[in-house]
Amino acid sequence: MTDLHISELRKSYDGTPVLDGLDLDVPSGRLVAVLGPSGCGKTTMLRIIAGFLHADAGRVELGGRTVVGPGVHVAPERRGVGIVAQEGALFPHLSVARNVAFGLTGLSRAERAARTAEMLELVGLAGHGERMPHELSGGQQQRVALARALAPRPALVLLDEPFNALDSALRAGVRADVRDALHATGATAVLVTHDQQEALSTADLVAVVRNGRVAQSGTPEEVYRSPVDSWVAAFVGDAVVLPATVAEGRARTCVGTVPVAGGGKGPGSVLLRPEQLRLVDPEAAAVSGVVRDICFYGHDSVVSLDLEGAPGPVEVRHPGPVVVRPGELAGVEVVGEGLLREADRAEDALA
Amino acid sequence: MTATLRPAGASAPAGRRRARRRPPAVLAVPATLAAALALLPLGYLAVRALENGPGYAWDVLAAERTVELLARSLGLTATVVTLCLLLGVSLAWLTVRTALPAPRLWTVLATLPLAVPSYVAAFAWVSALPGLAGFTGATLALTLACFPYVYLPTAAALRRVDPAQEEAARSLGLGAWRVFARITLPQLRPAAAGGGLLVALYVLSDFGAVSIMRYETFTRAIHTSYRASFDRTPAAVLSCLLVVLTVLLVVGENRSRGRAGHARTGSGTARPPLRLGLGRWTAPALAWCTAVAAAAVAFPLATLGYWIAVGNSATWEPGRLWDAVQNTVTVAGLGALATVLLALPVGVIAARYRGRTARLLEQAAYAGHALPGITVALALVFFSVRYAYPLYQQLPLLVVAYVVLFLPLAVSATRSAVLQAPPVLEDAARSLGRRPLQVLREVTVPLAAPGVAAGAALTFVVIMKELPATLLLRPTGMDTLATRLWAETTVSAYAAAAPYAAALILVAAVPAYLLGRHRS
Amino acid sequence: MKSEPARRARLRTLAAVAAAAVVLPAAAACGSDNGDGGKDGKGEKNNSLVVYSGRDEALVAPLLKDLEKETGLKVEVRYGDTAELAAQILEEGDRTKAGLFFAQDGGALGALSKEGVLDKLPQKSLDKVDAKYRGGKDDWVGVSGRSRVVIYNTDKVAEKDLPKSVHELTDAKWKGKVGYAPTNASFHAFVTAMRVSEGEKKTRDWLTAFKANSPKVYEKNGAVRDGVDAGEASLGLINHYYWFEKRKEVGEDKLNSKLHFLPGSDPGALVNVAGVGVLKGGQSEAGRKAVDFLLGKDAQTYFAKETSEYPLVAGVTSPVEGLPALNTLGGPDIDLSELDSLEKTLELLKDVGMV
Repeated sequence: MTDLHISELRKSYDGTPVLDGLDLDVPSGRLVAVLGPSGCGKTTMLRIIAGFLHADAGRVELGGRTVVGPGVHVAPERRGVGIVAQEGALFPHLSVARNVAFGLTGLSRAERAARTAEMLELVGLAGHGERMPHELSGGQQQRVALARALAPRPALVLLDEPFNALDSALRAGVRADVRDALHATGATAVLVTHDQQEALSTADLVAVVRNGRVAQSGTPEEVYRSPVDSWVAAFVGDAVVLPATVAEGRARTCVGTVPVAGGGKGPGSVLLRPEQLRLVDPEAAAVSGVVRDICFYGHDSVVSLDLEGAPGPVEVRHPGPVVVRPGELAGVEVVGEGLLREADRAEDALA
Repeated sequence: MTATLRPAGASAPAGRRRARRRPPAVLAVPATLAAALALLPLGYLAVRALENGPGYAWDVLAAERTVELLARSLGLTATVVTLCLLLGVSLAWLTVRTALPAPRLWTVLATLPLAVPSYVAAFAWVSALPGLAGFTGATLALTLACFPYVYLPTAAALRRVDPAQEEAARSLGLGAWRVFARITLPQLRPAAAGGGLLVALYVLSDFGAVSIMRYETFTRAIHTSYRASFDRTPAAVLSCLLVVLTVLLVVGENRSRGRAGHARTGSGTARPPLRLGLGRWTAPALAWCTAVAAAAVAFPLATLGYWIAVGNSATWEPGRLWDAVQNTVTVAGLGALATVLLALPVGVIAARYRGRTARLLEQAAYAGHALPGITVALALVFFSVRYAYPLYQQLPLLVVAYVVLFLPLAVSATRSAVLQAPPVLEDAARSLGRRPLQVLREVTVPLAAPGVAAGAALTFVVIMKELPATLLLRPTGMDTLATRLWAETTVSAYAAAAPYAAALILVAAVPAYLLGRHRS
Repeated sequence: MKSEPARRARLRTLAAVAAAAVVLPAAAACGSDNGDGGKDGKGEKNNSLVVYSGRDEALVAPLLKDLEKETGLKVEVRYGDTAELAAQILEEGDRTKAGLFFAQDGGALGALSKEGVLDKLPQKSLDKVDAKYRGGKDDWVGVSGRSRVVIYNTDKVAEKDLPKSVHELTDAKWKGKVGYAPTNASFHAFVTAMRVSEGEKKTRDWLTAFKANSPKVYEKNGAVRDGVDAGEASLGLINHYYWFEKRKEVGEDKLNSKLHFLPGSDPGALVNVAGVGVLKGGQSEAGRKAVDFLLGKDAQTYFAKETSEYPLVAGVTSPVEGLPALNTLGGPDIDLSELDSLEKTLELLKDVGMV
C-alpha cells in the first residue's frame, strides 16, 4: 500500500515551462484521475513519476521514499511503477503470457506461470496466454497491458490515456474492468486523461490540471458541483454562465431568480449545469425564449435557446425527447442551486 | 489539431523521448569505440598530410588541378545521385504503389544490381561500347550499380505511407499525380535523401568504375599519387578534402532529415497501401523496369557469359574457385557481423537521443566512408604495424578495415530500424524492472531485428565486392573472389576472370535477393 | 587442386573466426602478444621467405613453386599492385613482413632503394645482368626487360607513314589519333627517360605539345592496345609484350594491329625492367637465394616464354617468334637507376595537366 506525494514539480522544454510547481497527493489504494487539456503538462508529470524524464525541480515521494528530489533520480526500473500506455504498448514479438510475465523476475517458473494466469483471470482473459498481441482486439490488448503492469505488484500504476484508442462502445466496459481490477489488487493508481467523463466516472479522486499546476482536486462530485473557477467548471462539464445581480442568497438572472450558496452581493455571474435547466410550457413559465437548435442524444436532448438578457444561446439538458421544434417558443425553469462567480471570471468562461 | 494546443516547447511524445540528451554508458562506450575506429584513418591522414610541412600540403591543396578535380568529382556525384533518385524512386513507386504486373519479380530485380560490382559493370559496358568511356560511361556504370541504395529505403517508406492521407487528398480534388507530388513524395524525402547520401559517398570513394571508364576524379588522383610518385602527402591531402566533403554531405543530409522522419505515431497502418491502376501506362512502365533490369543485371551477366564462351584462356579451376567462394563468404560474414555489432549502439543512439554527442557519434561513423579503400588500408597498415603487430595481415585486422569502410551502411539501417520500434515499448520494459542494457537486448534489438538483418545483408554484399583494402590487408595467400577477379584481369585474361566475376555476382545475389524480399 | 598456401590460409581463417568477434574492438587499440609475432617476418629463420609481388600471380606462382623445390625455402606470396605494395612496405617500415619485393618496374624499386630499406646484393648476382638493367646502389637487379613500342592499327596507318620518333607524335597529322595511358607506370618511366636524356625543358615542351594534340587517354597499356586494335586510336604508346599477349589469346589473324620498334636513342624505345630487391632484415639470406634462382637459366627462359619479355641474363635468348633481339633495340642512353626520379616526372605531368 503506497501513497504518492508530489510537491512543487517543475519542468521546462527549451525555456517554456510545462510543469509550473505542480502539487498532488494520492492516498494509498485510490485511483486518481489527472484531468486536463492537451499540453497542460499531465503527460510530462506522468513520465517524471515513471522516471522516463528528469524533473527540473520538485519532489516525488512514493510510499514515503523519495524517487525524485534534489540530487535524487531513481531509475525507472527501480521504482516499482507500472505503466499502461495509450495503445497498450504490448511487445509485438512476445505472446500475451510472456508479455504479462515480462516484469516477473526472481520467481520460479511455476510461480511466474501462476501469477500470469492469475492476472489474466483478473482482467477476464484467462486462456488467452498463447495468443500474440495482434490477435487480440483493442480492448483486450488494453486489459493485457493492465495485467502486465499489475503483475509485479507495483507500488503505483500509471495509466496514460489508456482508453483513447478504443471505440466508444468498448470504452465504458473496459473502463469498468480496469477500475475493478485496480480495486481488487488495492493498487494506487494515477489515470491521465483529457476526457472529463472518463475522469469523473472512473476515478475516486479527480485533479484538474491547467498550465502545469493543479487547479483543483477533490472527489468527482466536488469538482463537478463546486468548481473553483469558471475554467474548471467549463472543463469538467458543460456550463451555463449567466450574468446576475445577487442579493440575500438569491441571484436575479435572465432565467429567473436562482438560489445561490454563500452571501455575495451586487453584480456577478451564476454558473448552472445544463441539466439544472428544464423546459416547460411557455404559457406557464416566467421566462421563455426561442428554440435555436436541438441535439438529440437518446437518453436526453440538449436544446439551445435564445433568451433575452443572455450573452449567448443558453443550453438546456432535457431528459428524453422534446416536443418543441426550432423556431418555436419554449419556457425555462431552474432546478437546484446555482454557483456564484465573480463578475470578471464570467468572461473567460465564455471565451 | 491537438498539437496546436500544446505549448511551443513540447512536441509529440516521440520527440520528447528523443529530448533525452545523454545516452547511457552501455551504449555510449561501444558507440564511441566504433566512432573512434571510423576516425582512425583521419589520424593517419593528418600525419601523412603534414609530414612534409604544412607548406607542401597547402601547395597540393591550392593547385589548380585540385580545384578541377573537385569540380569533376562533384559533377559526377551530383549527376549520379540525381539519376539514382530518378531510378530508385520511380521503381519504388511502380513496384509498391501501382498495379504493375509481377511486382515481386521487379522488386528482386531492382535489388539485384547490388550484387554487381561497379568495376565489373563498367568493364562490361566499356568492352561492349568503348565510346562510352568518360563521363557518360562513369555515370552509367555508377548509376546502375548504386540506384538500389535509393530504391530499398524508398520502397520501404512507401509501404508505410498511410493510404488514408492519400485518400483524403484525392477527396480534396487532387489528381493521382498531384497526390504523389504533394502528399507521397514529401514523406519519402528522408528515406530517399538517406539513400542519396550513400550513393554520393559511394561515387566519391569509387575507384574501379571511374578508372575503367577513364574519368579523372579525386579518387583516381589519389591512386595516381600513390602509384606514380610513391609520395603519400598529396594522396593524404586529397583524402582530407574528401573527408571534408563527406562531413558536409552528412551534415546537409542531417539538416534535410529534420524531424519529419520521427513523426511516425500509432500502431501502424492497418490497411495495405493502395495500388494505382496503370491502364494504358502499363506497357511503358513495364518497358522502363525491363530496361533498367536489363542494363543493370542482364547485360553484365551476359557479357560474362560471352567471355566464358569465347575466350581461350578459360582455364577452369573449380577447386580454386570454391576456395575463393569460401574465403569470401567467411570474410564477408565476419565483416558484416562485426560491422553490425558496432553499428548497433551508434544506430540506437542516433535514433533515440538528441544532442551534440549523439550527432557527433553518428557523423563520425560516416567520416571515412568516402575515402578510397587504399587510403583506409594504408591507415590500418600504419597503425597495426606500430601498435598491433601480431594482428597485422591477419583476418581480424581485415575485419576491422571492413568496419571502418562500411560502418555507415549498418548504422543507417540500424537507425531506421530502431526508429520503427515504438519508444513507448522501451518505457514499458523499463517500468517493468529492466535496466537499459536489458531493454536493448530484450525489446529494442528483437523489434529492430529485421531491419538490422537487412543492414547486415547489405554490408555482406558490399564487403564481398571490396577490393583495395582486401588486397593490402588479407592474410598472405588468402584469396577472395574479388582478389581473384583482380588477379585475372590484370593479366587481361577476361575469360579466366569471368567465372570469378560470375561467382561473385551469384553469391552476392543471395543476400541481395533476401534484401528485396525482406522489404516486401 | 588446392594450393598449400591457400589451405594454410583457410586453416588460419577458421582459427581466427572465433577470435575475430571477441578481440576485434580491443585489437585495433592494443596488440596483445599471442605468440604469433615471431612466426612471420623478421623473427623467422633462414628457410622461409615472404615475397611481395607486384607481378601477376599467374606468371609468378609456378616459378615460385620451382623455387621452393630447388632451394627448400618455404615461400609465401602477397600479390598486389607494385606501387601499392611499395607504399605498403614504406608504411610497414622496418617491421615489414616482406623478404623480397618483386616489382613490375624499376621506379618502385628505386623508391625503396632511396628510403634505404633494401639490402645490397652480392656482386656475383649483379654481374649476371648488364649494368644498364640494375639499380645504381647495387640493391636491386632487373629480371626481365620490356621495350616501349608504338602499336599501330594496320587499317589506319601504312607502314611507310609510321613515325621515326615520339617527337613526330606532336605533328598535326596525328591529332586525336594517339592512345596512351598517362597514369601508367611504364609511361612515367618513358617520360622520366626523356627527362634524363633530353632535359627538363625539352620534355615539358614535348608533353605540352603532345597533350595539345588531343591524345586519347586510357587506363592501362592493355586498354591502349585494345583501343588501337579496335581502331579507336591509330597509334598507341605501350610495352611490346602486351601485343604478344593478345596475339597468344586471340591469334595473329584476328589482330588489326602491329608493333613498331622506334630506332636509335629515342626515349620511345626505352627498355625498362621488372626486377627484385631484398628487404633488410631476417629474411635477407633467403631473399638472396631467390634472386639467384630468378637469374638462373630456367627462370629466365620461363619469363621469356610466358611473358614475351626479354631475358636479361647474358647467354639466354628469347624463344618468342617475331621479337627483335635485345641488343638490336634502340633506346635512350641512360642509367635505369635514374628512373626513380619519378617525383619530378609527376610534377611535370601535373604541371602540364596530364595526371
